[in-house]
Amino acid sequence: MNRLDPRVQLIWVGSAAVSALVVGGILFAVVRVFSPPFVPAWTPYAVAGGLFVLGALLAVARYRAWGYEVRDDSLYLERGVFTQVRTVVPFVRIQHVDSSRGPLERVVGLASTVVYTAGSRGADVAVPGLAGDGADELRERLKRLAIRSEGDDAV
Amino acid sequence: MPARRLSPLSVPYRVVQRGGSIVAALAFALATGGFSLPVVGLAGPLALVGLASLVAVVFVAYELAYYRRFSYELTPDTLDIESGVFARRNREIPLRRVQNVDISRNVLQRAVGLSAVAFETAGGTETEASLRFVSFDEAKRLQRELGRLKRGDAVGEESEEPTSETLFELDGRELAILGALSFDFRVPGVLFLFFSGSFTLVTSYFPDSMGPLVAVLGVAVLVVAAVLVSWVAGAVVAVVNYYGFRLVRSADELQYERGLLQRYDGSIPFDKVQTLTIEDNPLKRWTGYATLLVETAGYAPGQGESSSRGSEAAVPIASRERVERLVNDVEPVGTPDFRRPPKRTRRRYVARYSIVIGVVTAIAYSAEFFLVDGFPWYAPLALLPVAAVGAHYKWKHRGYWLGENHVVTRNGVFKRQVKVVPYYRIQTVIDTRTVFQRRLRLATVTVDTAGSLSLGGQDAAAVDIDAADADSLRDELEERLRIAVAAHRQGRVGIGVDDEPQVTELVDEGGRSRDDEREAPPENGDGTSEETPTDGEDGDTDDANENADDADPFVWGETRDESDGSDRGGDET
Repeated sequence: MNRLDPRVQLIWVGSAAVSALVVGGILFAVVRVFSPPFVPAWTPYAVAGGLFVLGALLAVARYRAWGYEVRDDSLYLERGVFTQVRTVVPFVRIQHVDSSRGPLERVVGLASTVVYTAGSRGADVAVPGLAGDGADELRERLKRLAIRSEGDDAV
Repeated sequence: MPARRLSPLSVPYRVVQRGGSIVAALAFALATGGFSLPVVGLAGPLALVGLASLVAVVFVAYELAYYRRFSYELTPDTLDIESGVFARRNREIPLRRVQNVDISRNVLQRAVGLSAVAFETAGGTETEASLRFVSFDEAKRLQRELGRLKRGDAVGEESEEPTSETLFELDGRELAILGALSFDFRVPGVLFLFFSGSFTLVTSYFPDSMGPLVAVLGVAVLVVAAVLVSWVAGAVVAVVNYYGFRLVRSADELQYERGLLQRYDGSIPFDKVQTLTIEDNPLKRWTGYATLLVETAGYAPGQGESSSRGSEAAVPIASRERVERLVNDVEPVGTPDFRRPPKRTRRRYVARYSIVIGVVTAIAYSAEFFLVDGFPWYAPLALLPVAAVGAHYKWKHRGYWLGENHVVTRNGVFKRQVKVVPYYRIQTVIDTRTVFQRRLRLATVTVDTAGSLSLGGQDAAAVDIDAADADSLRDELEERLRIAVAAHRQGRVGIGVDDEPQVTELVDEGGRSRDDEREAPPENGDGTSEETPTDGEDGDTDDANENADDADPFVWGETRDESDGSDRGGDET
């Protein structure tokens, strides 16, 4: 079972920070404008801080839960903290493979690989947090495996 | 074969169709006073007529150009369509990729002998190509030719008509039952929107002293009326949609026809069938009827209403035995022997229902506290025993079964769905375990296919099965898909028609041929097997009746309960 690159935690912590900031900012504005009587002034900071800590913990937990494996005939993914999800994607069913780099991902030098099938859950299968060339490598590998398995009539 | 054109009649028809809708929209706008034309005095009507004729000329010219610019051709491998007045488009659709060919004709089109043809492929957001309009004969010819070309016959060579066999015909009685069982809640909804403004007006006529009584009576009358209206509407819609429903098997295609006013005529190649779903509800189970839905990947997500999507190819209602026989005609499934989730699953459902009851009770309590005194807030608690019974039934109707070529799952009480997925159609296998499921060592294994109905989150799924079983089920499904794909490469197999018996055997480890499978009644628990009726009536349901003590008479096949996992270390919670 392959783990993701540990730096992916940075990305997740980063996005947790961003959403904590957004929520905190909104709360801050609300408290400033309406100044509700029962709400102490430090509430926005506390909420934002709490959200951030929760998000950071979740990021670590998520990293620990993540794993993927390129098997003989399929790609196997395991992930999820609260709801554990294990997905088997047979190579014959792969329609196409993407690798993508989001802005946060580029900052830490990571990339993701997205696998598409004709299933109703289309792009449900994405492997985030692959270091540098890892995503391209995985993409190429999956592509070769998909071609080798001749998914002639995938639908 | 030379390129062909649309029917010349399509020009006037399209003009009338387009013009008609614009005139109707204009008339509506004028009648409702949405806007007034900036015409006054004597010149007004004249200007109006002038404008109208100008518009008419533009329409006729456009439709003529459309007709002249539109041509299509069926080549041995592709369907080529050239079209477009301003922007030209040449499209080639590989025939092997065509999922469905649908012909539809409304009353007017039937009167003048036109029909619309739609070609569906997987993927994309809309119908891949449509011909508006060709003659009905031409439409049927296209449908036939396409099927023939896909089988690899030469173009134009008029081979003998493929033998077609009527698989199913909806008789009058079934149509009547379908109507009687159909409710359409859209109509009362619309009426409600229309008349909601007049409620205050009506209530103002009654003296205030009668207030509560009138309100209660009024609500009761309204509810009864709404149910009646939706019943009538549902019956009308069902009859109009499914009048003269017929399913025909022709070579390796399934063809259907239906409709009273608008006739639909479609074809589904067997090798494009993704999933078969047998649906019923307690009423249908009790009366012994069921619904069959055939899914292909041809209908794009979100296209049209749910009623006009993949379910077009559905058998709206038929006796359970007929549906099962039909399923076995399309996909030789055999008789599923469902395996239920472990008994501890029921605790989960009891807890779930109890939480709902608890929430309702809490709401009632706060309502009593803040609004009305003396309101029996504890009344919902009386439902707790019902929760237990409901949990039992929910558990009882769940199950999954691995057949030779298919995985079959069963879920739901009020809308019970038995889904049949050929291993060859599996796209991905997804195993999910929520926190609550993990506590009871349970898991849900979902089998994703490319079917179009599955978008509603109704994939075939073995829900709440033992976690260890889920692990092995996942591997098993993957392995079976691998075998099915390998078998498929040696020749088409495992899906649909029984024209390659040798390959069926390849997958069939038990060595039984498909026909044996269908005629032989399942072994009874005590080892005796029942006499099979020779007229093709399946003995399954009787068997299940005798055999399973707690199963209802219309559970497909027998059901065996999974051991409660005590061998896996008990369930202490």
